[in-house]
Amino acid sequence: MLRLHELTKRFGAVDAVRGVSLEVARGELVALVGASGCGKTTTLEMINRLVEPTSGHVELDGEDTASLNPVELRRGIGYVFQRVGLFPHWTVARNVGLVPRLIGWDEPRTAARVDEVLGVVGLPRAEFGDRLPSALSGGQAQRVGVARALAAEPSVVLLDEPFGALDPVTRDRIQAEYRRIHDALGLTSILVTHDMAEALLLADRIAVMDAGRIVQVGAPAELLAAPASSLVEELLETPRRQARRIEALR
Amino acid sequence: MNLLIEALPENLGGHVIVTVVPLLLAVVISVPLGILATRRPAVRGPLLGVIGVIQTVPGLALLALMVPLLAWLDGALGDAVVVPVFGMLPALVALTLYGMLPIARNTVAGIEGVDEGVVVAARGLGMTEGQILREVQLPLAAPVILAGVRTATVWCVGMATLATPIGQTSLGNYIFAGLQTRDLGSVVFGSVVAAALALVLDGLLAGIERGVARGARGLVMGCALGLVAVLGGGLGASLARPPAEVTIGAKPFTEQYVLAHLLARRAEAAGLTASRREGLGSTVAFEALVAGQLDVYVEYTGTLWATALKRTDAADAQTVRREVCAWVEREHAARCLGALGFANNYALATKRELASIAELAAVSADLTMGADYEFFGRPEWEALRSAYGLRFAEQRTMDPTFLYDAVDRGDVDVIPAYTSDGRIAAFGLNVLEDTAQVLPPYDAIVLVSDAAPAALVDALRPLIGALPVEAMREANRKVDADGVAPEEAAAWLDGRVGG
Repeated sequence: MLRLHELTKRFGAVDAVRGVSLEVARGELVALVGASGCGKTTTLEMINRLVEPTSGHVELDGEDTASLNPVELRRGIGYVFQRVGLFPHWTVARNVGLVPRLIGWDEPRTAARVDEVLGVVGLPRAEFGDRLPSALSGGQAQRVGVARALAAEPSVVLLDEPFGALDPVTRDRIQAEYRRIHDALGLTSILVTHDMAEALLLADRIAVMDAGRIVQVGAPAELLAAPASSLVEELLETPRRQARRIEALR
Repeated sequence: MNLLIEALPENLGGHVIVTVVPLLLAVVISVPLGILATRRPAVRGPLLGVIGVIQTVPGLALLALMVPLLAWLDGALGDAVVVPVFGMLPALVALTLYGMLPIARNTVAGIEGVDEGVVVAARGLGMTEGQILREVQLPLAAPVILAGVRTATVWCVGMATLATPIGQTSLGNYIFAGLQTRDLGSVVFGSVVAAALALVLDGLLAGIERGVARGARGLVMGCALGLVAVLGGGLGASLARPPAEVTIGAKPFTEQYVLAHLLARRAEAAGLTASRREGLGSTVAFEALVAGQLDVYVEYTGTLWATALKRTDAADAQTVRREVCAWVEREHAARCLGALGFANNYALATKRELASIAELAAVSADLTMGADYEFFGRPEWEALRSAYGLRFAEQRTMDPTFLYDAVDRGDVDVIPAYTSDGRIAAFGLNVLEDTAQVLPPYDAIVLVSDAAPAALVDALRPLIGALPVEAMREANRKVDADGVAPEEAAAWLDGRVGG
């Protein structure tokens, strides 16, 4: 349902992304994993046209996204940002209701949906709806960010290192919550992360990127069984090595 | 004090108009320009640069430059459009330009200061650029933009006092008149009222700022209504008085204030309503008269001879007067009604035992010369310097009010003096003889615009030839040395002429 075809992005003389092709099936959670600067965020941003590809194209349900109005396209795709980006002058409820309002839902329908998605992320509206973002913890703010991405009932959700800035305990809990939400709502999700452990634990499939290219795609078990390169091997080995060292401390 | 309070509605009303209207215009112009600068990096540098350069022009110079600029525009637009070159319009233009910098700069800083993560999120969720600006960037930048408006407000209230010399009534009228006529009460009164106005406007804007920050609509509306009320009060006070039938100009020194009152008394005695525009720059008064925006003022022949006719030679008083008046009538829609009877010649005066400028030149290298703002730029000074070879150890510029005190205390050795000034005798100064006849004569002449009512001309005619220098000097002395109000000195002078 989501198809990236030979996507390339050149910034000046630098090729940030080189010929990336990837198919994501309905209901799948795919992780794009790689080091900083490998082109994974740029790839994500080409999906909702925050960045226009130099060449190649993206198909959404068989339609070339280049033929769609970019603003309308973005309103139809959920997005969770690394820096959260809640509007500090708006209440939690108004932040969450943004996209429904943009696409012209009436007030009662928006309000009901805001209640619903705040419930989904575990922040009851009665308690949190009228707060300003400054009155939220980091974990609560990113839950609101997830609720905002889900508010207009998108089928595709893009997540750009959404949990990287959270403390480990919160991160672990919210990762698990997101997987539950993804399954419950039947979402199609693309998660950008540099954390291989996160990808292994959450994703149905993992695409490993290096220097603008996808070097291997596969289910976590496939990657673990047959890493295609020393880079993939190194990325997979790091969390396991850490776990062994911790185990050895007993 | 009563005279001060009597003039308050007009002076404060004028001040409010030329402060609040330019601020509103500056906001309307600068906020969009600031927004443009954040969207077009190519515009940003040049725009802030140009506005910044305007800001570095001293306030008084910026105001004064508007007069010839608008006069040029008036000429360029032909007869179909009449551009007022004097009074409110140049003040509004200059103050608007002046208020733009802090507002534009803070708009740019405010918008660029919005968290980039918030803007990226807004775009990524499908807000249009217009929605991002209106719903995210401007609300978040509002406190910074309003802080810029507050800065501009305080600047503009201060600079509006400098609008007096270009013919805009403001609280500066108290300050300029007070400085010239040694009435410090008037200076303090004008300054205190201006400071109070600045505090009130700043307070109202601070209220709006706080209201916006807390989302308190009532506070914002209340303070905005307060601003409207202040502006309405200013407009009301200015419009309440009907426009006078004649407008009389005066340059910024004692004799001119006294003479403006004298002309006004004569006009009013003939049943005309008269208003005075005081403290005008020398060229401003002439420009305004020939543009028909002043009906009458007293000019000095030597001033026009040198600055308008660009003559550097000296001639006898009769010749200078004849040529100057012929030039005015030939070139402009104005004429000389006649000479008042006294001359206010430029002369050099000193406490030293010297008799002539030639003697002064022999010792000038060890002396300090003090002068008013205009003098060192005037062609007469250039002529004197080259004719006698004057070279002073130091040249100091100061307000004309303080010149006599400065020479009396010995801070400066030589000052330019006016021969009709009562203080020459009061301070025991020697007037140095101009043996080479370099300085032209400065006979006081009444210039009237062709647009002046005939009744005004008839009312002023008896003054021609009726003011001997002794009478003028005594009237000036009463103001400068005895602290008599110019209005009362004019009444005394009027009695002398009548009797």
